Amino acid sequence: MDFAGALSADHLKFLADGFWVTLSIAFISILLSFIIGILLGTLRYAQIPVVSRVVAIYVETIRNMPLLLIIFFTFFALPEVGIKLTVTQAAITALTVFESAMLAEIVRGGLNSIDKGQIEAARSSGLTYIQTLWHIVMPQALRRMVPPIVSQFISLLKDTSLCVIIALPEFMHNAQIIYAQNVNYIIPIFILVAFMYFIVNYALSLVARRLESRQA
Amino acid sequence: MIRFKSVNKYYGDFHVLKDINLVINKGEVVVVIGPSGSGKSTMLRCINRLETISDGELTVNGVKVNDKNTNINELRRNIGMVFQHFNLYPHKTVLENITLAPTMVLKQSKEEAEKIAMYYLEKVGIPDKANSYPSQLSGGQQQRVAIARGLAMKPEIMLFDEPTSALDPEMIGEVLDVMKALAKEGMTMVVVTHEMGFAKEVADRIIFMDQGRILEEGKPADFYANPKEERARVFLSRILNH
Repeated sequence: MDFAGALSADHLKFLADGFWVTLSIAFISILLSFIIGILLGTLRYAQIPVVSRVVAIYVETIRNMPLLLIIFFTFFALPEVGIKLTVTQAAITALTVFESAMLAEIVRGGLNSIDKGQIEAARSSGLTYIQTLWHIVMPQALRRMVPPIVSQFISLLKDTSLCVIIALPEFMHNAQIIYAQNVNYIIPIFILVAFMYFIVNYALSLVARRLESRQA
Repeated sequence: MIRFKSVNKYYGDFHVLKDINLVINKGEVVVVIGPSGSGKSTMLRCINRLETISDGELTVNGVKVNDKNTNINELRRNIGMVFQHFNLYPHKTVLENITLAPTMVLKQSKEEAEKIAMYYLEKVGIPDKANSYPSQLSGGQQQRVAIARGLAMKPEIMLFDEPTSALDPEMIGEVLDVMKALAKEGMTMVVVTHEMGFAKEVADRIIFMDQGRILEEGKPADFYANPKEERARVFLSRILNH
């Protein structure tokens, strides 16, 4: 084991670059997924004929695919039909497609958790369905969605490492390049990588737990 | 004002409302009683189309409630509703609960809506709770806010769906007092309740329902003293003996 060699200043800089890519890709993806997830989740919740059905099929299909397959698909299959994406674009697309399906279900669950009596009260006072959704259901549901969305973000942060297979220069990818040079680097680098993931994700889960207890 | 003409309703195979014929006039206070599952709440909820009817005709002020061309939101402005479980919006203050529909639906300014809200909060006796959240109020206070919320739309009709059934016994009186005052002011009210004191004091008419049918209707004094139907007699003896 060569801790000093493995964790040299150059290596740490290289790992930090990778970690930054991991964080940014995860953040952009969760942001996009959140917007799409809200839309899909609401459409599914609203039980609009045909539309809700189509959304349900999309969400269920994506949710039951391995993320790895979706990453392969955006990077290797899309070019075959003329859509060429850079590694970064492919990674963000794959993660967003996958996460938006996950978030759609969180959104739908949040909306469904709001007591139907309030909806009846709002509708019986003459508010339209959209007004009721916007003023009564959504604000309360959003608050309830925060903790599961944070846990989903944690999963996403970890899942970003799957993009190593399309050579996205993220954390795992850069770590691999370093420990591939020297077997004595493997254990020190693994320890550092594990530590970094743990610190960030554990901090996030603490945030999620706090948000949850504040609601209760 | 409210007219049911041969109204039937089914939930799948279950026949919830059977050939309902009923006319409720302006200013009338009608109390609907009957065992649970008799269809009384369902009938009430048809009036503002929280439930749809399967056949027959239901009109409010001459407007067909279930007609495709009826603007249901416009119709509902005119019909306030109070629920068993209050159904206040927990994320909004008492004042916001009351002003939401007047500002959104009637396009009142915030100031105007708040002024009207305060007027009704005075009327139900809790103006000091204007800035509280529903969770900080007792059940009786929540239900009074719900009544104020309904009244703030200045409806011609108020529907009450078992408004005191979820309340602790010592809070029933305060809610009934508000309802009695409202009845005496000439509001058209349809009330599903088992509160006999209320029915005797302010109801113009009692409707007794069982198994989806209106079995008997009459003046409260006559009905309670001398119910014609055997089923009504049994029902009354059961609730009176408790």
